[in-house]
Amino acid sequence: MSLLAPMMLAGAVAVALPIALHFLYKPRHKPLPWAAMTFLKASLRQTSRRLKFKEYVLLALRCLILLLLALALARPTAGLVAGGRGEGVDAVFLFDTTASMTARDGPGSRLDRAKTAALAVLDNLPPGSTVQAYSCADRTTFLGPVTPGSRDQAREVVKAVGPTATSGDPLAGLSEAVAALDRGLSPTKEVYLFSDLQRSGWQRQAAAVRARAAELKGRATLLLVRCGDPVRVPTNVAVSGMTLPPGVTAVGSRLPVTVLVTNTGPATARGLTVAVEVDGRRTEAEAATVAELAPGETRPITLTAKLDRPGAQVLTATVGPDDLPADNRLDRVLGVRDRVRCLIVDGRPDAADPTRSAGHFLQAALAPVEAVRRREYVVEVGVVPADGFAAGRLADADLVILADVPGDRLRPHAERLAGWVRAGGTLVVGGGANVRPDGYATLDGLLPAKLEPLAVAPLDTPFRIAPESADGFLSQLKDDPFRIVTAGVELTRVNPQQEPTGRTLLRLADGRPFVTSRGVGLGEVVVVGTALDDTGGNWPARAGSFLSVWQFLLADLSARTVLDRNRTAGEPLVYHPPAAPQPFELTRPDGTTKSLGPAAGDPLTVTATDTQLAGVYRVEPDAVRFAVTPDLRDTADLTALTDAEAEQTLGFRPVFVTAGDGPADWAGERGRREWTVWLLLLVFVAGLAEAGWAWACGRAW
Amino acid sequence: MPSTLLQPDILARAEALGLAARQVVEGLRVGDHKSPYRGFSVEFVQHREYVPGDDIRHIDWKSYARNDRYALKQYEQETNYVGHLLVDVSNSMRYGDGPQNKLAYAKLLAASLAYLIVHQRDSAAVRTFAADWGAELPAGSQVGHVHAVCRLLQAAQAGDKTAVGPLLERFAERVTRRGLVFLVSDCFTDVPGLLKGLQHLRFRGHEVVLFHVLHRDEEEFPLDGHVRFIDLEGSEQIRARPHLLRPAYLLAVNAYLAELSAGCDRARIGYVKLRTDRPLGPALAEYLIRRRQMGRAK
Repeated sequence: MSLLAPMMLAGAVAVALPIALHFLYKPRHKPLPWAAMTFLKASLRQTSRRLKFKEYVLLALRCLILLLLALALARPTAGLVAGGRGEGVDAVFLFDTTASMTARDGPGSRLDRAKTAALAVLDNLPPGSTVQAYSCADRTTFLGPVTPGSRDQAREVVKAVGPTATSGDPLAGLSEAVAALDRGLSPTKEVYLFSDLQRSGWQRQAAAVRARAAELKGRATLLLVRCGDPVRVPTNVAVSGMTLPPGVTAVGSRLPVTVLVTNTGPATARGLTVAVEVDGRRTEAEAATVAELAPGETRPITLTAKLDRPGAQVLTATVGPDDLPADNRLDRVLGVRDRVRCLIVDGRPDAADPTRSAGHFLQAALAPVEAVRRREYVVEVGVVPADGFAAGRLADADLVILADVPGDRLRPHAERLAGWVRAGGTLVVGGGANVRPDGYATLDGLLPAKLEPLAVAPLDTPFRIAPESADGFLSQLKDDPFRIVTAGVELTRVNPQQEPTGRTLLRLADGRPFVTSRGVGLGEVVVVGTALDDTGGNWPARAGSFLSVWQFLLADLSARTVLDRNRTAGEPLVYHPPAAPQPFELTRPDGTTKSLGPAAGDPLTVTATDTQLAGVYRVEPDAVRFAVTPDLRDTADLTALTDAEAEQTLGFRPVFVTAGDGPADWAGERGRREWTVWLLLLVFVAGLAEAGWAWACGRAW
Repeated sequence: MPSTLLQPDILARAEALGLAARQVVEGLRVGDHKSPYRGFSVEFVQHREYVPGDDIRHIDWKSYARNDRYALKQYEQETNYVGHLLVDVSNSMRYGDGPQNKLAYAKLLAASLAYLIVHQRDSAAVRTFAADWGAELPAGSQVGHVHAVCRLLQAAQAGDKTAVGPLLERFAERVTRRGLVFLVSDCFTDVPGLLKGLQHLRFRGHEVVLFHVLHRDEEEFPLDGHVRFIDLEGSEQIRARPHLLRPAYLLAVNAYLAELSAGCDRARIGYVKLRTDRPLGPALAEYLIRRRQMGRAK
């Protein structure tokens, strides 16, 4: 309970008046000589206790009347700081703009109903009220109005509220609402949360939501405006994923794309159309029809997409129709390569039997095609001995592999090698007898971990790889058949590493790092802790493991150019422009633009955080595209909280309103929260009781 | 100068009704009332055998002729009586204003009764009392005696507490000749003690009549407002709002009146409740009529 006019409560001191009169007032008694004292004393003995009791009851009733009157004048309201009739209100509107609010489970979308309800609230706010509107999804954004007291501005703000593709919970919104309450001057505060009360979102940070709601409870009335249909769960089919074959995506290939379609609704979806298009070219889109998709079922649909030019291209998968369009589209930016250039620097070439040198094994793993087709293959592999390596060759390489190269051979090129990596090159350092910690000291700034001296194991107890430790782009080694074949690798010589400053992609069975990596600038350095020929063990001979590792590396290298171009809604877009600082601008999927300012830092970086919509973003003037996918957590479970569950989550019972109720309900709700009328009625009843009791006691008033 | 205690309208009404003794009384003269002594008057009662010394004029010769024995005829002797008027002049009798003052009312009643008694050639004696006996006027039957009674009553002043029970016992021991005792009092005293005294008088053969004089306020307690009650027979003071006490007061008064009335009935004592707000004439006449009716029935 809270008071709208707490000063009036001071009137409660008036209760001292009847108490003082009762105990201190001495009335003038008319003297009367009396004979029948015996009977008078007998009646006094008989009635005095009863009379005292009656008088105390009368006194209590009179005090109660005064207390109730003071309380009524103080205008108490139900539990919260709430608006009374005709009182100006500081209203805070929180619009749930998560993806689930686009569901059409009634007339219009849930967000449309939220906006209609908000307009109804606006129309029924008392004069002198202020409004602050926020969108509330993965983050809270102030929508307006600029002038809080302007009802017209507020209407325009409400009409402009749009959905996002993000997932979220009410925590951020409630936090912002608490802060917004401080900005209003009226003692009457109301927070309207227009939401579909989607279960998964609300329960994600239930404890924090409860704590924040408790903070809000003491300061304002919370009105939960339910915008979804509490009974009808909409049908929904989502593009839950898109998988591509591993390896380098080459120009001109017809890429098989597997689109994962999931039915998250409660009913079987029928007559679905799944399509894939490249760079928005609908005419070339390939489509398939799915007759039926059961609730909860995920079905892979394989289509193909023709990639006819190098560079970043956007692959878009769509599905429909259903009641919730927010998750019906998935975009992905692909890095399409016309060629990947690899340079192998062999530190121990075997002129007598080249098939035993590292260059041979690596060439076979990187370009696993027949020798005659290697010239046409997308991966171009060149091998040079360590003596013949010159820094000038770095300019033509995307990937450089140092296979058992002595450190002193690298020393003259260390600086240029580091620059090449920072510019985006991928350097792989392979182990071997020539790789000594002291020799590689010049590369300490590049390597993910310090090297240790070569370790040798007897043949009967070789070192083994632990595939279950695989991470990063080698994660697939944890899965069969890669896991089995990798676990069978026996290594007799390894170059141990200390715990890396970067990532450990693979470990030995004894827990020591085996493959480590570290991002340096725009490039990456990978250290493999054994020789890349057969002198270290049987790994190169285990094609299922060795070849796969290099193919995973190539895929990672190929995708790295567009690695940061695929984000989930809400995540920031980071772009490293090659040119000097210049003003950049972000074009959103809905066509709106936002200035990002010039790039800054080393490397040059431009960051865009306003990514709540799903679709393709462009950073101009470089025309760099980013694909932002919807946050599928928000549409995976479309069931809504019941009132009881919402109350339990919040820790108290807010005012529940359903969007679509008439304006009278809003005004009526505000009036119902003030207790003044009821208290005055109580005063009246207490007055009647006092009069009746006084009459019964023989009192005259 | 005629006394104010003798009011013609009261006396005229009472005079016509008379105040006959309802039981045998002992008188010195031949009068209208039955005497316990058998004599030779008008009404025959019985025969008694002659003994030497008897007056032979009273021998019933007709009886001697029938029975051959000397017998004397005995007749019921009619005599006059003495009416003892005992008037309470304690402080409690001061309550009431003007004609409704209890003491004034009691004096008027006593004077009227004295006139009535003397008027029918009986004797009236008057005594006032409070905590002890006060003024006293011996029995007298002359017309002038009434004036003496009036003078005594007019001179009587209220004072002291009421303690009538022991006084009545002493009175009963002192007055051996049976007669009528009229007690005029508000009876604000110990009821068992009072009844005991009255019973003693009855035991001595007196006809006892209690005139219970009350003020309307004392019986109905119609008071209101804040009142400081000052005890007329003491120093005690009580502050109260009487309308709040009224139900309990009425219960106490009614219980007291019921006890007193029932006690009188048990001892065959006449109980007459008189309220000072009612004129004495009709009240006294009513009592005399009732008494006369009861006398006939007897």
